[in-house]
Amino acid sequence: MNTKRILLVDDDPDIRLTVRLPLEAAGYQVFEAANFADGQTAVRKVKPDLIVLDVMMDTTTAGFQFALDLHNAGPDSEFKEFKETPIIMLTAIHTTTTMRFGPDSDYLPVQEFLEKPVEPDVLLSKVRKLLGE
Amino acid sequence: MDPSLRIYGNPQPGETPNPGGAATGHRVLIDEELVESVAWLIRLRWIAGIGVILATWFVSKAFRVQVPTQPLLVIGIGILLYNIVFFLIERRYKKTIAPIESYRKLAFVQVGFDWLAMILLIHYSGGIESPAIFFLIFHIIIASIFFPQVTAFGFTILAIVLLALTASLEYFSILPHYAIGGYLDFPLYRNSLYVTGILVFFSCAALITAFLVTSIQKRMRQHEEEIVALTENLQIATSRLQALNDGAQAISSSLELQQVLDRLVKNTSEVMGVRACSIRLLTKTGERLEPVAVFGLSQNYIKKGPIELENNPLAREVLAGRIVNIPDITNTSLLQYPDWALHEGINAMLSAPLTGKNGPMGILRAYSDEQNWFTPDDEIFLAAIAAQGSIAIENALAYQAVEALDATKTNFIRTITHELRSPVSVTRSLLRTITAGYSGEVNEQQKDLIDRAIRRIDFLQKLIDDLLDLAAGKADLKSHEATEPVSLEEILQRVVDRFAAPAKEKGQALDWELQTDQPCMVMASPEGLDRIFNNLISNAVKYTPREGKVTVTLSRSDDDDARIVVEDTGIGIPEEAMEHLFEEFYRAPNAKEFEREGTGLGLTIVKDLVTRFGGRITVHSTPGAGTRFTVSLPLVSEKT
Repeated sequence: MNTKRILLVDDDPDIRLTVRLPLEAAGYQVFEAANFADGQTAVRKVKPDLIVLDVMMDTTTAGFQFALDLHNAGPDSEFKEFKETPIIMLTAIHTTTTMRFGPDSDYLPVQEFLEKPVEPDVLLSKVRKLLGE
Repeated sequence: MDPSLRIYGNPQPGETPNPGGAATGHRVLIDEELVESVAWLIRLRWIAGIGVILATWFVSKAFRVQVPTQPLLVIGIGILLYNIVFFLIERRYKKTIAPIESYRKLAFVQVGFDWLAMILLIHYSGGIESPAIFFLIFHIIIASIFFPQVTAFGFTILAIVLLALTASLEYFSILPHYAIGGYLDFPLYRNSLYVTGILVFFSCAALITAFLVTSIQKRMRQHEEEIVALTENLQIATSRLQALNDGAQAISSSLELQQVLDRLVKNTSEVMGVRACSIRLLTKTGERLEPVAVFGLSQNYIKKGPIELENNPLAREVLAGRIVNIPDITNTSLLQYPDWALHEGINAMLSAPLTGKNGPMGILRAYSDEQNWFTPDDEIFLAAIAAQGSIAIENALAYQAVEALDATKTNFIRTITHELRSPVSVTRSLLRTITAGYSGEVNEQQKDLIDRAIRRIDFLQKLIDDLLDLAAGKADLKSHEATEPVSLEEILQRVVDRFAAPAKEKGQALDWELQTDQPCMVMASPEGLDRIFNNLISNAVKYTPREGKVTVTLSRSDDDDARIVVEDTGIGIPEEAMEHLFEEFYRAPNAKEFEREGTGLGLTIVKDLVTRFGGRITVHSTPGAGTRFTVSLPLVSEKT
């Protein structure tokens, strides 16, 4: 039985469901949050081993901000213990030029991107990789 | 001081416009003449001084005439000495740009000294008998050129008096008489008839000379004044033309409304030489005029109150298309706020309508401190500026509207992107969760049905992506123009790698040939380039049967373009399909047969992007044998 805790932050309940089902089937403990603020609260409460994060929630860049708050946390930050927590970011497939980005540690502290629609096997392999399993 | 700078130069910003422009120009020109003449007189005097010395020596040696050599030489040297002083003073004046009054004094003193030297010369060369008397005429000519008529006559009379005095003093032996032995052996200086004759005739000659020269000089000055006045008029005309030209340039150089307006009021007020200028535009409801650009007016005055058409006869008059000249603010019933204007120090106003294609837009107004300032020429000029300004304002307004529309469109596209994609994407994710077995057992038939639904959704997803790409490309020109130097080699490598697996699956050979050793950088967006080659190579792989071959090559053409060729051994494109190939939603009949699904947008997007990046795309195909797409893109020049 896998006891790793995964926090899922996405405003779309259907997406949360499609991510939750494969993860739970693989034995992970899955927690959900529907927006930015709930997500931050949940991070402190759940103390997840990994976070799956939607890029667009309240605003088009809320996901980025969320990741930045965590991974660029200063020594006095309430999130400092989550500095190393891996994040998978859910992005819309084939993003337009106005939404250009890629995994770049300076620019965006995110370990992996996962394109929507979610392919359950791809999701699981990325999660396993990041958790070192 | 170079007067031409002031006469021909544009009025400098901040320089007070001069109401009596012509008079200034004239004075400056006459002054300049005086400055020049002073220098000229000094140059001439070197010759005079040396002339006296040489003549004394020559006459006494060559003709053995007995002249008082010593005093004459002293006079010659004296002339040279005081000329040195004048020369130095003049040089300092020039350096320090002395006021014209100093030059006038210098001229006065110089003429005085010359008079004294001349009388001494006459005295020592025989007094009334001296042939040097004639030279006094030169001095009178010079004085008449230098000074106004009265002063010139004063100097002339002084010359006559000095000569008469010398003659009388010598006559009565109060002054010694220096006879010139060998020239005039019968002394005449005591011959009263001779002395009187010479004096009378000399006086007449001197006065007539002074009269003639000063008269001619006066006429010449009149002509000069006319020329200066004409020059100034020409100058005004030129600077106005220049202003119109500047206005035209402002139209083409800026589409920023505020910039156009600000430039317009500043230029107008400078060129017209007036204190202030303003533009007021009609509000959308057309009831009021709002100040949108102001030059040279106080904030207080601008905020004096709303200009409502109902209460403002002037505004109504101007908006009806007339140019209204109010020469005297105290004497008009047209103004809504005459006291404010007077308090601001404005005494005259000239207003011209700004008229667009759809009727009146606003008012361009010039303000002057002086009553009766604006001439009919000014009216025509302001009307011309207003006409031109109207075009500029209309263009800027249109541009503003287009920009707003563009922003709305871009926003709309973004919203649609999210709104359309999300449900499709989520639906697919949900279905995949079922077929992957995460929601319990699914039987074969159920799985088959869901897989069919997924295939349809995939197509829908692709269609949405393509459509949005196309729409975004068309609406969101700006984001596509934000290009950077991109390495073609890198992009091609990436796209070719992407298709390695699908090609292998079909048993196709996918060859990638780099036929240049120089880097190929083009100005483009990496996403755009990726999309171009993704679509071309994906088509090639898709429409080439099993065991076929797809070749991608990158080379440089002779005319410094990058050339990318995507060639396949596929089904080819029939002749009749060629002309429709890049049309939206078009698919060739044989392509439909070969692959049921396809949006018909891929090549439209490719063509759109290639054109955007300044390139060309050509296609060559033999049905049943293969197709070759050639994309040419301008390389970034190595210098930049």
